Amino acid sequence: MTAARPIPPSATPPLVRLTGITKRFGPVTVLHNVQLEIAPGEVHVLAGENGAGKSTLIKILAGIHTDFEGRIEYGGREARPRSPLEAGALGVAVIHQELSLIGPMSVADNIFLGRMPTRNGFVCDARQHEEARHWVRQLGLELDVRRPVEHFPIAVQQLIEIAKALSQNARVLVMDEPTSALNATEVETLFGLIRSLKARGCGIVYITHKMEEIGRIADRITVLRDGEWVGTAPAQDLSSARFIQWMVGRELGQQFPRRAPQPGAERLRLENVSVYPEGIAARPAAANISLAVRAGEILGIGGLQGSGASQLLLGLFGAYGRATRGRVLLDGQVMEFTTPRAAINAGLVLLTNDRKATGLVLSLSIIANATLAGLRELTRAGWRNPTAERAAAERTTGQVKLRAASLDLEVGALSGGNQQKVAIAKWLQTRPKVLLLDEPTRGIDVGAKREIYQLMDEWTAQGMAIVLITSEMPELITLSDRIVVMHRGELTATFTRAQATPETILAAAMGHTTASTITKAS
Amino acid sequence: MNESSPIQTRNRFVQFGSSPAGRAFLALLLMLLVGTLFNADGAFFKIGTHRDALRQASVYGILACGSTLVIITAGIDLAVGSVLALVAVCCSMMAIHWGWSGWLVVPVCLLVGCASGGLAGVVTARLRVQPFIATLALMVLARGAAKYASGGMKVSTAVKNASGGYDYVDVPALFRLVDTRILGGNLSVVTVIFLICLALAWLALSKHSWGRHLYAIGGNEEAARLSGVPVVWAKTLAYVASGMLSAVAGICQAAQEQQGDPEAGVGYELMAIAMVVIGGTSLMGGRGGMGLTLLGVLTIGYLDKILSINAVPEAGRLMLTGIIIVTAVLTQQRKRT
Amino acid sequence: MNSQPKPNCLLAWMSLVLTALLWGGCSDSSKTAGDAAKSDAAPRAYTIGMSQCNLGEPWRVQMNEDIKNAAAKHSNLKVIFKDAQNDTLKQRAHVEEFVSSKVDLLIISPKEAQPLTEPVARAMEAGIPVIVLDRRLLGDKYTCFIGADNKKIGKAAGEWIVKTLGGQGNIVELMGLQTSTPGQDRHSGFLEGIAGSNLKIIFSADMKWLEPDARKEMESALSRFDKIDLVYAHNDPGAHGAYLAAKAAGRTGIKFVGIDALPQEGVAYVSQGILDATFQYPTGGAEAIETALKVLHGETVPKEIVLGTRLFDKANVAQGGQELN
Repeated sequence: MTAARPIPPSATPPLVRLTGITKRFGPVTVLHNVQLEIAPGEVHVLAGENGAGKSTLIKILAGIHTDFEGRIEYGGREARPRSPLEAGALGVAVIHQELSLIGPMSVADNIFLGRMPTRNGFVCDARQHEEARHWVRQLGLELDVRRPVEHFPIAVQQLIEIAKALSQNARVLVMDEPTSALNATEVETLFGLIRSLKARGCGIVYITHKMEEIGRIADRITVLRDGEWVGTAPAQDLSSARFIQWMVGRELGQQFPRRAPQPGAERLRLENVSVYPEGIAARPAAANISLAVRAGEILGIGGLQGSGASQLLLGLFGAYGRATRGRVLLDGQVMEFTTPRAAINAGLVLLTNDRKATGLVLSLSIIANATLAGLRELTRAGWRNPTAERAAAERTTGQVKLRAASLDLEVGALSGGNQQKVAIAKWLQTRPKVLLLDEPTRGIDVGAKREIYQLMDEWTAQGMAIVLITSEMPELITLSDRIVVMHRGELTATFTRAQATPETILAAAMGHTTASTITKAS
Repeated sequence: MNESSPIQTRNRFVQFGSSPAGRAFLALLLMLLVGTLFNADGAFFKIGTHRDALRQASVYGILACGSTLVIITAGIDLAVGSVLALVAVCCSMMAIHWGWSGWLVVPVCLLVGCASGGLAGVVTARLRVQPFIATLALMVLARGAAKYASGGMKVSTAVKNASGGYDYVDVPALFRLVDTRILGGNLSVVTVIFLICLALAWLALSKHSWGRHLYAIGGNEEAARLSGVPVVWAKTLAYVASGMLSAVAGICQAAQEQQGDPEAGVGYELMAIAMVVIGGTSLMGGRGGMGLTLLGVLTIGYLDKILSINAVPEAGRLMLTGIIIVTAVLTQQRKRT
Repeated sequence: MNSQPKPNCLLAWMSLVLTALLWGGCSDSSKTAGDAAKSDAAPRAYTIGMSQCNLGEPWRVQMNEDIKNAAAKHSNLKVIFKDAQNDTLKQRAHVEEFVSSKVDLLIISPKEAQPLTEPVARAMEAGIPVIVLDRRLLGDKYTCFIGADNKKIGKAAGEWIVKTLGGQGNIVELMGLQTSTPGQDRHSGFLEGIAGSNLKIIFSADMKWLEPDARKEMESALSRFDKIDLVYAHNDPGAHGAYLAAKAAGRTGIKFVGIDALPQEGVAYVSQGILDATFQYPTGGAEAIETALKVLHGETVPKEIVLGTRLFDKANVAQGGQELN
């Protein structure tokens, strides 16, 4: 284990300094002698694999966990916030991964939730609206603060959450994976905002798994591993190899496997497929898509948010019932899937992009989740066989290298990466021919990502065909053997791996269809 | 980091005590302790008291089995009490007035129950009406049907004849069979019926893939659907099963009253739900089980009995029952580690 | 409107079906009386409105039945029945409907006194005589009240029990509801009836007028007391439930006494040998029609008619019971 080195001193006195933080849950120590300091005007990236203790540290800073050892100084004075409200008063605001806004309530009500301006016990709507508008404008947003929050896209909701933090006079803003649900342009807006917050002297703690983002915005980086402080360094001094070594405790050879695809017969073919999630009368989410995937091949689908790629896969999978038009061929056979069940039985499966909402049943055990899709072949006349289920779950979770103390644990108790592995194990059980992966590495740590990349490589080697949607450009470019790009429901470009560059893909994703890049599959 | 280690390092007893089953068991033990303290001049120590407590809880218990299946899917069935009344009326008409054999009466009654449940199931699962509304509607509908079929009067062994007077017929063999005792008079047949229903429901829920599907639907319906679980079918079946169990309860009710009362079963649905929830099955769906429901049924059944042998007045009973239900559910809701 | 259409639509359907069923039931009953009137061109035809507060209880179903049967004997009477389904405001609306449709006479069995007093007074002002059945109204703005006296019935039961048991024994009392007036009256009347004897009430509990609950309470009494001589229940289903409990426990030598004596319940139980006695709580339906005819023919009627009770026991049940006063 790396010995604790002193934090390199920062030029200005820190806004917040945490030293010697130790936190136990029962007999388990989840943080041991951790330190962190946030200077005004810096973006301090807090990195570490899932389960390294980042969230726990943030919760201590935010006053959610109150029994811990160690010292927190706010502006040089020691204090122990006993609630998020007290932490807020000390100038700390957290924008959680799961937004804490209340959907049906208005923007203004959300911003002033719990501390609305009142007169004689009645909320002064006019004043509240005016102040809310002021804070929203600070972020360069122009919106009707009386509309319910749920009417706005996730990106805007996030900005509303930041406005809420600013209105509370926050000096330290903690952002927990703020870009996980944002598209490229929205990310740019957010980064612009972060720059202006820096200029105002705010300190930002930024948690992310995306290397690209770290490179772009980090001023200093602190890495945690297994609850221990590994190191803190200015971003420009920390090479990415060293950074990854800090994260995983070992040298990672190459993040992506070197693929040597040997495409076989055509597995999946779409001819003029359109998907109508809102009903046949409405605009299709994906229109007239034609493409083909061969055995042993990974086809990447690029696109910004709203490209319709996710809906295309859902429609293909039968999730929208009879809302899919066009011809779908699986191994040369014309298929029509109106339920996911039919698709699964035919060997086509979909890993959805939100494991908590649509991928897993968090209240059930690992075994129950891992065998949910392929339960039928483990039963006789519907009667379950627990031994066979355990054996099957052991096999599939072993293949994805799941790390869990027991397969009887509830999936909700696992870390994000392990949850994703369970979701994948569920599909392995059904022995699919075609695997549709929608953001398979969203919100999971570097180590788990690498393992999933390896698995994708192995599966294709065994003859599976994979369709991959990812919003991470390096992933798309390195893993895919071929790449198609979608823009507002239509296919705008097809690339081979050699042709694809981030620039050409982004251009196609934003709707530029230049003759040179178009080679429509027919 | 390993999330499970705190549980592992604790000893088994504490672990059991903090599980839903452990808490429900503790609640039952406490209830029995209360019984020994307030034993009504030793009445609580007589075997007959326990036999009666079990008999009285049995009809509720049968309904609770069905409600458990539905509640696990994050649904609710408010119609069980009314379906019970409808079946009690139908059963009495067939068995008493028309003199049909039990071999015919029971299947027809079960069919009536299945049909009612099927209606609720199709409306909720297929047409996606909220279960609360759909079963509320069925509750009213079935009650109306029971009153319509019976003409608002109890269907008893006094059968109106052509001249406006009454003929008296014997209590049918089916009723006598159900409302009798075995094992030297120490166990009521309705209790046996309840235990059989419980066992069957347990088998379906814990040993059959359908049960797994119900848990998955209750835990995350969309994820279940996208995992190929036949959501509509499984959910509909849960309501059908609840309807069928209501029919069984209706037969038991009719047999014990020796008549079909269209007003029977008012408020039983809430009692059944309370038993399920006290056992520790979550109203949010996805968690719970038949074993827990058995504990819940026993706890409330004994509460009822203890209040009764001590002749606690009605007003006090209602207040005490309310307090105890809230307390029990609060202990169940303590944060899981 | 941006509301969810499906539940609303369903509820609408349900209420439609229910209305149809209820309407079917109502029109059925008025038709028989009406047909009788038409078939025989009588001196002057009268229409009587009958507002029933709740048809959920067999006793009230019997009341309507009694009115119907009594009216059927007079070809010039047509009775329109309305059931308020235990809803005070609905009953009030029914009264107002009867007034505006100008019935010749109104019979009402009110759910509650206070909210229905004024609508009935307005009917009187509109020249419609009103006969109040079973439950009273406030003030005196009605033509005639017909009702039974629960206290008197309870007392009669008490006296009969004293006589039957020879003034000695252990009694279980299964009360309707301690918080309801009939329950309180049947209890206090009973105490009056057994006063001075050596009868002991060893166990008393509420059974909420419900048979399953009565059976439950009786089981508790049985497990506590080895010697029970008689069960006095505030209604016949209660006594029947107690009988079933005792029979299941194999206990013999217990007598069962109930109240209400509906033909298909209490009287049937006595004829079957299940109950030892039941005391009629008369519906007053027949008396109401009798009084109505008098009023319509311009005769004077007393302001208040208190109905007597009838005792049905094993000896007299075949002869139709014995009038007590």
